[in-house]
Amino acid sequence: MERLDKMKKQIYRCIHCGACRFAYSGEPDRAGIGEHEGTLYEGIVLGCPAGRSKEWEGFYNSGKMWMARAVLEEDLVPDEAMRDIIFQCTTCGNCAAQCENKIPTVDVIEALRATLVEKGIPLGPKTAGLGKNIKEKNNPYNEPHAERTSWFKGKKTKTAKTAYFVGCTGAYRIKNVAEATERLFRKIGEPLAVLEDEVCCGSPLFRTGQIDEALRVMRQNIETFKQYKTVVFSCAGCYRTFKVDYPKYSGKPLPFKPVHTLEYIADLMKQGKLKITKEFNKKVTWHDPCHLTRHIADDIEKRRLEESKNWFMDTRAIEKEKEAWYELPRYVLSQIPGVKFVEMYRIKENTWCCGAGGGVKTQYPELAIDTVKERIKEAEATGAEAIVTSCPFCFLNLRDGIKETGSKLELYELIELLDSLVS
Amino acid sequence: MSYKPVTKKIVEALENIVGKEYVNDSVPMRYAYVSKGIMGLESTPAEVIVRPKNVEEIQKVLMLANENKTPVTPVAGGLSGGFASPLITPSGILLDLSRMDRILEVDTDARYMVVEPGVRSGTVWAYFRKNYPEWAPPVPDGAPPAATVMGDALERGFSMVTGRYGPQADMILSTEVVVPTGDIIYTGSWALPGAKPFYKWGIGPDIGGLFLGAQGTMGVVTKAAVKIVPHPHYKTVVVYGMDNPYDMQDATLEVSKYEMGIADHCVMVQGGNWPLVMARWPQDKVPTDFEFYKKAGFSEWWMNFEVWAHSQEELDFVTKRINEIMKGYEAKTGHSLPEQKLHPKQIASRLKKPNKIAVPYSLWNAGFLFITWYTPWKDCAEFAEIYNEKMVEHGFPPVMWIASIDHCRQAICMPIVCYDATKPDDVDKVQDLNRETTEIFMEKGWVEYRPDPYVHAPMMYGRAETYHKILKKIRAIWDPNYIMHPGRLAIP
Repeated sequence: MERLDKMKKQIYRCIHCGACRFAYSGEPDRAGIGEHEGTLYEGIVLGCPAGRSKEWEGFYNSGKMWMARAVLEEDLVPDEAMRDIIFQCTTCGNCAAQCENKIPTVDVIEALRATLVEKGIPLGPKTAGLGKNIKEKNNPYNEPHAERTSWFKGKKTKTAKTAYFVGCTGAYRIKNVAEATERLFRKIGEPLAVLEDEVCCGSPLFRTGQIDEALRVMRQNIETFKQYKTVVFSCAGCYRTFKVDYPKYSGKPLPFKPVHTLEYIADLMKQGKLKITKEFNKKVTWHDPCHLTRHIADDIEKRRLEESKNWFMDTRAIEKEKEAWYELPRYVLSQIPGVKFVEMYRIKENTWCCGAGGGVKTQYPELAIDTVKERIKEAEATGAEAIVTSCPFCFLNLRDGIKETGSKLELYELIELLDSLVS
Repeated sequence: MSYKPVTKKIVEALENIVGKEYVNDSVPMRYAYVSKGIMGLESTPAEVIVRPKNVEEIQKVLMLANENKTPVTPVAGGLSGGFASPLITPSGILLDLSRMDRILEVDTDARYMVVEPGVRSGTVWAYFRKNYPEWAPPVPDGAPPAATVMGDALERGFSMVTGRYGPQADMILSTEVVVPTGDIIYTGSWALPGAKPFYKWGIGPDIGGLFLGAQGTMGVVTKAAVKIVPHPHYKTVVVYGMDNPYDMQDATLEVSKYEMGIADHCVMVQGGNWPLVMARWPQDKVPTDFEFYKKAGFSEWWMNFEVWAHSQEELDFVTKRINEIMKGYEAKTGHSLPEQKLHPKQIASRLKKPNKIAVPYSLWNAGFLFITWYTPWKDCAEFAEIYNEKMVEHGFPPVMWIASIDHCRQAICMPIVCYDATKPDDVDKVQDLNRETTEIFMEKGWVEYRPDPYVHAPMMYGRAETYHKILKKIRAIWDPNYIMHPGRLAIP
């Protein structure tokens, strides 16, 4: 409740204008990619996965802001009915991107979830299971901690300056991405340290209001990685958690620099230190993972606005900085010979979520699938043969969606793809 | 009136009408529909929310509510305001019409479109852009793209072509209205079965006006035929600065009085004062002195003329004539009206419709309210002067936005009261300001645009007793238990 109370003035900014329902809420004239299977990808289009699926006002962000206000005014007592609304949200942050009144909507939704936990409202069984598993085994998958680095067959590098935070999904579920990341960095002459003491980053806990346990893993990870100058991430969720949540919750800057692999690779490419020569002859589209793109851009904006003494003057420069971040994956793809790149309609700040985030894939798999189907339809509308992304959660949900819809789209994880193209 | 609360039996009956999945009485969901700010401060959570799909379902819901004396509040598609929320207790049924979101017809010869209540401005704009690029739906300028065409029309709001065509209510040719007795009333030429909605004034005395400005108190409007207008693609915006509201008023009037050939091309004529720019940012994160804005190119007051034309030649002619009239005014009065040269990006931004320009005023503090009035154009400067002074007196920044309606026959004056919604004292201050200014404006004969239930409506109807009496009697014909949005307009 304390966190919610701290955001009171921001919560009260909501005028229920409804922009948060949409992507491109301020651009009804925007040209798009035309109509595909009954959806017109032009102008403003729905951008809220939960709202699109459930349709009731409470599932849209604006409804949640007014629930938060009622909780603060003690008109609304948190209960299980409220939990079932508040947790059916991927916390993708489209609402924050659309809000002209700059309400930190994801922070508010996460604070509402934490309030439900504080008030003793039982979490959904699978959401609660995440907390239990992390508490007992340091990962949400209930896998033995001893197996965390079992994917790593190489020699441990004691001299590496850069460590690799693998993340639970890379360590236990899509080990091929972990392997590809470690291998790619070795190929480019930047060997990574892989640490056995790494534990879950806490993202599933921060996202679902289980803050006490999240703080434990945060403290442990900071301690484990503090000897390194740079920590590299292949998981968008872990990266977001380190970069955004750890400084916020610890109240201190990180003792190392968190860098996503995409950022690292793009830098090398820009410096001419990495050049891809092998061709990848496909028509490709890119799915922006919310945690990697929109959440980080939002963090850039928040930090810059916090520092700014004159928003009127500084806003344009902040927008440019955000745009540069959104361009990174596009730049990397542009450096791969043979790639014919096509954009989906809802991209960058207006990207459509894959549906897996915010604990939704775990507790509400039907909402996750409903959401990803929409993304696959949009990818197909571009005529792309392949969809590329760089987030294990997006990857797994896109994979499930492709299977569910019978789509012919091929799915690639960006680092894995790059590893396959670099000798 | 005495109303009855929604019982479990009524909830079940509603589920039988619209289907269980379209009825929701969960407490958190009821709070999700509450809204206080931008257009009104009063709002109570409904007891149950119902989302009907068609006229038949609405008929059944209203008849059930009428039989049980349950209040019903209809909301078109969004909640941009507080006015679409119930006001009294028991609060009854909130009729969320967002599932009725079809564009049913577009006739480019008779030049109208038929829309359901849930059709949003942004959606209809994109639809026309793709399918009828030579025609424009009269969506509001400034209201967010999620606002509905119907909501704007029924509230007698304004549109992006309001300077040329008048208030949005003038654009409504016919409506279909469901009332609590279960009757369906058709207005305009729709009153004649089988007729197209081509003629606003119907088949004799037309009762259409009773539903425009009723704020949901007279029935549920389920369809509206709305005029569409030509959408020529030569456009620009010219801006002139002034150092006082009287020059803004008088110079603009000189342009607008031409009407044919000049002002007819000025679809949107709107202006304001420099705090309109300042209050879009948090008060501790932006300069608050005029000198800063002056250096950035703003005048103390200004007026935008948005010009649409069928050719570059026509566009050049109109902008040249506006310039000549402005220069003539300068010569006549000796007052300076500098033209503010806009960057092409600024012009493009101002031409973007619909847009979110009226949304970010919560940033200044934590909440804002439009307390909007209609005045004769010739009174708008006096209005601005009085209101700005009163806003400052009550501790609010003097933020004023003014637009021409129908070639400056009327002005829609939109003070934006930026207050701190987290502080009950600030809310009281807003209402003190509202009462004080309403007393002054009633004396002057100015008309509130969307009368609020506790200040404007009682004060206004208190002065128009016969009109109020007749309005109540008419309403009772089809709403004998006064179940439609009770309390909203003081009828009763």
